[in-house]
Amino acid sequence: MDPVIQLKNVSYRYPVGDEQVLKNVSLDIGRGKLVTIVGNNSAGKTTLCNLIRGFIPHFYKGDLEGSVLVDGEEIADAQLGQLAEKIGYVFQNPFIQISGVKETVFDEVAFGLENLGVPVDDIRRRVEDVLQLVKIDNLRNKNPFELSGGQRQRVALASIIVMDPDILVIDEPSSQLDPVGTEQVFDIIRLMKERGKTIVLVEHKMDLIAEYADELIVLADGEVKLHGPVREVFADPSYMALGIQYPHAAALALDLQEKGMELPFLPIRDEEVAECLARARRKEGRP
Amino acid sequence: MNKTATRKRSFQQDFSLLALLLIPIGVAINFVGFQLAQVLRLPIFLDVIGTILVGVIAGPWVGLLTGLITNSITAIFNPVYFPYVVVSMAIGVAAGLLSKAGLLRTLPKAILSGLVITAVAVVISAPITVIFFGGATGNTSSAITATFLATGQTIWQAVFSSTIITEIADKVISVLIVFFIVRSISDRYLSKMKYGEQYMKRNRRK
Amino acid sequence: MATNAIRALHPMTKFTFALFVTAAVIAVPSYLFAYAMFAALLVIAAAAGVLREFFAFVLKTLVVLLIIVFLMQLLFYPGDDIIGGWWVFTLTQEGLAYGLLLTSRILAIGSAFILFFRITEVKDFVKALENMGLPPAGAYVVLSTLQIIPEMRRQSNVIMDAQKTRGVETEGSVLVRAKAFLPTLTPLILSAIASTEERAITLESRAFSAPVNKTSLHTLERRPIDTGLIALFTIGAVALIVWRVAVWIL
Ligand SMILES: Nc1ncnc2c1ncn2[C@@H]1O[C@H](COP(=O)(O)OP(=O)(O)OP(=O)(O)O)[C@@H](O)[C@H]1O
Ligand SMILES: [Mg+2]
Repeated sequence: MDPVIQLKNVSYRYPVGDEQVLKNVSLDIGRGKLVTIVGNNSAGKTTLCNLIRGFIPHFYKGDLEGSVLVDGEEIADAQLGQLAEKIGYVFQNPFIQISGVKETVFDEVAFGLENLGVPVDDIRRRVEDVLQLVKIDNLRNKNPFELSGGQRQRVALASIIVMDPDILVIDEPSSQLDPVGTEQVFDIIRLMKERGKTIVLVEHKMDLIAEYADELIVLADGEVKLHGPVREVFADPSYMALGIQYPHAAALALDLQEKGMELPFLPIRDEEVAECLARARRKEGRP
Repeated sequence: MNKTATRKRSFQQDFSLLALLLIPIGVAINFVGFQLAQVLRLPIFLDVIGTILVGVIAGPWVGLLTGLITNSITAIFNPVYFPYVVVSMAIGVAAGLLSKAGLLRTLPKAILSGLVITAVAVVISAPITVIFFGGATGNTSSAITATFLATGQTIWQAVFSSTIITEIADKVISVLIVFFIVRSISDRYLSKMKYGEQYMKRNRRK
Repeated sequence: MATNAIRALHPMTKFTFALFVTAAVIAVPSYLFAYAMFAALLVIAAAAGVLREFFAFVLKTLVVLLIIVFLMQLLFYPGDDIIGGWWVFTLTQEGLAYGLLLTSRILAIGSAFILFFRITEVKDFVKALENMGLPPAGAYVVLSTLQIIPEMRRQSNVIMDAQKTRGVETEGSVLVRAKAFLPTLTPLILSAIASTEERAITLESRAFSAPVNKTSLHTLERRPIDTGLIALFTIGAVALIVWRVAVWIL
């Protein structure tokens, strides 16, 4: 594996916090992988994102131990402004996630490129492309302040994608969205994965994770409890004890297992349920 | 370039970014405070709360900019009073220096700070009123000034006296409001501001 | 957009003009001159198609102030040349002259800037200042302030209404009304301060502090006529001031 992001024995405490929010975290994230982080409230998911993006230690001080490497480079030595080109960061709250100075969606999306000093003609071309890609071309002349949560979240994504970073860190993009908005956002995430981006995603909708993610990291009380391919993590017996949801399919299957049915494998997507049941039946010798 | 230098520089940049973002909020607080005082028909202006607040937690320079931008934006709608921009900037600086000197940590000291800020406001605004506006302003203090003039005071005496009368309650109360608001800001934000740490709950307990 | 020739000028051209008016009415100690300047401003406003708006602003912001200023000079300005009396006051020629001069200047200078802001987009003015060396962060702060003020005003109304429904009194004696002030303002301030952290992260995510020279989609056109007019206004202002100082010394 070719790890793009490496954490080695990382522990962190916020400046005004009394306890460590991350405890001895070590993990490797491979290039081009879509890795999802799950965990209960206050488990430290956002903190982990901040760490990967370099906001810890550049923006949040506090006590940081261990090392965080992105592309082999120590993040603490990088310059925060330059990291924007390498790691895109989209976070939970779509309402605050606008520059606050632009009057149209087009200008809003262009803001990052202006800051990077990209020539004006290139900016126009790249913004046009991204508006199409993210399907917000119809919003181009709208004021960002007047958009709905879902629209804003897509504008926020577009504003980051337009800078073309290799890595995307996306923190609960769907928390404020309805199902349609969520689907639109995940369409974009899938597109980015197809383009070879490495994506770190915090998400709690397990069905979406089962459908899209390569790997799953389970965080509890600031510690990495499980980390591996999505299917293996859900199938891990210790997952149940962590009190985190399963995808619908898996929850259903585990219920059946509880009632005495033997399963050939743990289905995690809805379309796998039929297959699983069929094989279970055959095993029991019925036609 | 060595490592510590890089880290230090980026820290300064980040610090100043948060402080800069406080400026628009300080300006908006000035406007909202003024509007609220009008709506509630209070007899004072309460239009420098934001400038004082920013000065107190982010220091004199940021306070100065808050004052400058407040009056510059007012000028878009009413440029006549722009000369008083100097007063606003001085209030921001004074609030920052008083905070640095620890003069906003207790209630009695805060009252003292209110008096100091009143003095700063009077000493700077009275000459502006006399030189630019012949002693008049667009509000009730003109009537007070006229009364003093009618009793035979010179224009300077009259303007100073009436300015003290109109400013003292406004500025002392504004500083007290800031005193209470700073105490309710969470440590998480105070810890990031240049002069914020002294107001953190965990530090106050000690 | 049908662009008017005056409004299409560069913001700095218009700003230099306002400064020229300021210098001129201070240099020339004549109220007739200053009132004539105001007449000229009316003509320019009409040519720029903003006469009504301009005039409304002048009425709203200047008239009351000018009357007070004038009366105070007339009644209290010290002088010996008595031209009349009214009730307990004596009116002097000096008071009348100073009242006319001061009000004419306030009117001319105040209106020059009122006109400036009626024919200039603030966004363009900030951009012009940025081109002249204002740091981009400074420009950001000003523009973001303009967006935050209406937003916070709206929020304060919402909070105020919520307070009212919860029984906080906003009518009654001064003390009662004053008690509604803090509960409205404090939550507003606290949430605004809390939002700065995420705003900073948003800006950093958009490379706000990247160590390069920013580019901009918003550019201002500066034509030869702008350069010419700026030179003209500057020379005019300097000439008037030099003339004034010369007269004063000799
Ligand atoms: N800036 C900060 N300063 C101090 N403590 C913080 C800060 N940010 C988060 N914390 C604390 O760190 C812990 C982990 O927070 P974090 O936001 O990383 O959790 P999370 O897993 O993202 O939670 P959520 O599901 O609510 O988003 C929490 O106890 C939180 O209160
Ligand atoms: Mg979180």
